[in-house]
Amino acid sequence: MGFARYIPIAFLVAGLVLVQQVTQHTGTTFYLTQLTMAAYYALVITGLCLLMGYAGQISLGHAGFFAIGGYIPAALTTYNLEPLREKWLVQTLDAAGLLTAGQDLYGQQVLHVHPWPSCILALLLTAGLAFVIGMPVLKLKGHYLAMATLGFGTIVYRVFLAMPLFGEADGISAVPPFPLLPGVTVSGDFAARTENYYIAFGLLIVGLLFLINLVHSRIGRAFRAIHGSEEAANAMGINTPRLKLQAFVISAVFAALAGVFLTHYNGGIGPSEASVMKSIRYVAIVAVGGMASLWGVFFMGILLNFMSLRGMFGTYDDAVFGVILILIMLFAPNGLLRLHLWQRMRRWRGVDKPKSRTE
Amino acid sequence: MRRTMTSLLTAMLVFCVAAFVAPVGVKAATPKAETVKVGAILAVTGGASFLGGPEARTIQMLADELNATGGINGNKIELIIKDSAGDPEKAISFAKQLIEEEKVFAILGPSTSGETMKIKTICEQAKTILLSCAAAEVIVDPVAKYVFKTPQKDSDAVKKIYGEMKRQGISKIAVMSGNTGFGQAGKGQLTKMAPEFGITIVMEEVYDKTATDLSAVVAKMMSNKDIQAVVNWSIVPAQGILAKNMRQAGWKVPLFQSHGFGNIKYVEVGGAAAEGIIFPAGRLLVADVLPNDHPQKTVLLKYKNDYEAKFKEPASTFGGHGYDAFKILCRAIGQVGPDREKVRDAIENMKGFVGTGGVFNFTPADHNGLDIDAFAMLTVKDGKFVLYNH
Repeated sequence: MGFARYIPIAFLVAGLVLVQQVTQHTGTTFYLTQLTMAAYYALVITGLCLLMGYAGQISLGHAGFFAIGGYIPAALTTYNLEPLREKWLVQTLDAAGLLTAGQDLYGQQVLHVHPWPSCILALLLTAGLAFVIGMPVLKLKGHYLAMATLGFGTIVYRVFLAMPLFGEADGISAVPPFPLLPGVTVSGDFAARTENYYIAFGLLIVGLLFLINLVHSRIGRAFRAIHGSEEAANAMGINTPRLKLQAFVISAVFAALAGVFLTHYNGGIGPSEASVMKSIRYVAIVAVGGMASLWGVFFMGILLNFMSLRGMFGTYDDAVFGVILILIMLFAPNGLLRLHLWQRMRRWRGVDKPKSRTE
Repeated sequence: MRRTMTSLLTAMLVFCVAAFVAPVGVKAATPKAETVKVGAILAVTGGASFLGGPEARTIQMLADELNATGGINGNKIELIIKDSAGDPEKAISFAKQLIEEEKVFAILGPSTSGETMKIKTICEQAKTILLSCAAAEVIVDPVAKYVFKTPQKDSDAVKKIYGEMKRQGISKIAVMSGNTGFGQAGKGQLTKMAPEFGITIVMEEVYDKTATDLSAVVAKMMSNKDIQAVVNWSIVPAQGILAKNMRQAGWKVPLFQSHGFGNIKYVEVGGAAAEGIIFPAGRLLVADVLPNDHPQKTVLLKYKNDYEAKFKEPASTFGGHGYDAFKILCRAIGQVGPDREKVRDAIENMKGFVGTGGVFNFTPADHNGLDIDAFAMLTVKDGKFVLYNH
């Protein structure tokens, strides 16, 4: 393969620039808003693709990891530490340069944690949590694993819904922009849209490159061996528990990273981001994209989220993803882009029998 | 490799088609020159659909009615309703879409406080009028120049309840609330304002919004002989169940509910036990029995009859919030024409607007415009809502 596997990336970059230029010249840059948001969701979904498509482990709790990534920075960067300024902890943090002081929209003096430390904390916390949860949970298989991760997702949802610190049912608003580097800021300002489009897709491409390299490496082959047959992989000397855990933690961190960025981009987060419907949506999109096809999952992630965020599914939004999941599982288990429709329909009508499988 | 490239190209093609062709097609179908575009972001589906559903139906009904009768001084309203399902991220996406792409004149909704708070700054930045149908007081406090809300204040509901308790000589109470945003906000206000009225909250209980039996909680509260009354704050059938469980246990203390009780379905759940429940609410529920000279009577009766005739379901105060938002906007446009800055000023200085929620008097410092008189104390008599007369 060699460099050939990077050619699609070059095409992708060219395509992204083209989209941006076209919107610029037709005065339709507003499309970039939903594209940016879709890119962050696609980051969760490509991470989940590694876990589901390659390592063969399902997770119905990824909205939980996304929400942890979103809520921790949201809470830290909006919680006003000004009244606690005298406390030693606050003073230590301030001395370490981890806090930012300023005034809010209404002229009140505020002191918040800087987005960088809160971002790092959120990622570490997610990785740690994924590790602790993953260790026992990944011993389970199939339905049992799905149920355990579903349980985890529900717990996260309930915790965010119940804690006043996280704004309960209303979530957290007025999350400040994230000054990533000098001159590069993640923010939902109308003026910063093009910049944020490139930030989001830049992050997504870095994530993709990482995943592409990973799945083509020795570890990636081991993942696929586990997917094929865990027992056989074990017999070949692959440390299956450790590898499964690695895939789980990596995909959780991807979800959390998307959560951090999207929350700063949106300027807020609500409990709906942690809901089970979101987890199911992620799984559905991985399935549509073809499970073990990073590119398919990537494009479906962008496309379906883009359409959903533009309200194209109207009142049937959640239903659409449920139906998609069912249809894909029934008729195109390898994903929409690899659907050999005619062959399948002929087979359905019994014209030609499926090739005999050796099982 | 070839397969990757093929799928890549296919996906890009699909993507381009979806992104650019579809919206252009939609736009070409509705070319109108002299229309005022109004966006609405409402939770038509999802957990908050009991709010967004009636709001969306009401606003659509009013817009159709208005356009059929020639619009506002000839200006027709083009309504774009977006279903957010109560999800803040969708509300954000839709708000940006409505503002920039549709270039709407104003946005009605969202239905929930969480969503409203997420788009408050966006509307403020884009100088787009937002008339929220959500209740939380943080929406208009601190005041944002372009943001208004139509539902009554929670704190006024609490004042109304505590005022009545004071009159009855009640000073020790138990507070029950559902674990929803509505319940939490109400509980917060109840706790905050209790000292002001010399009331002590002896016991607090939170129950799940899906609760179907509360007899255990009732037994626990009953054992505390200090409790003189119970206040319950939620928007779920448990409101009726609680009344039932209390009467079954033979506990005879007065039961107060929030304005969330204003749906006749909950009375049906409670049956005979619901008799005598006291709660504050907008006057929509008792429109028929209001005295003829009450300023709201004609407005309320017309809305109620129109809505019920059209949708074959009882009108709720929530739909009324949508009614008020739409009518306030139309009245302001009628006064000064479709100029956004002038309309904003007109809303801010609007006085004596008779809506379903009460009589609105906006000021630069008060972007809600309702006071405690927007609430009336109601009770249940013979399975119906009636005005409470002490």
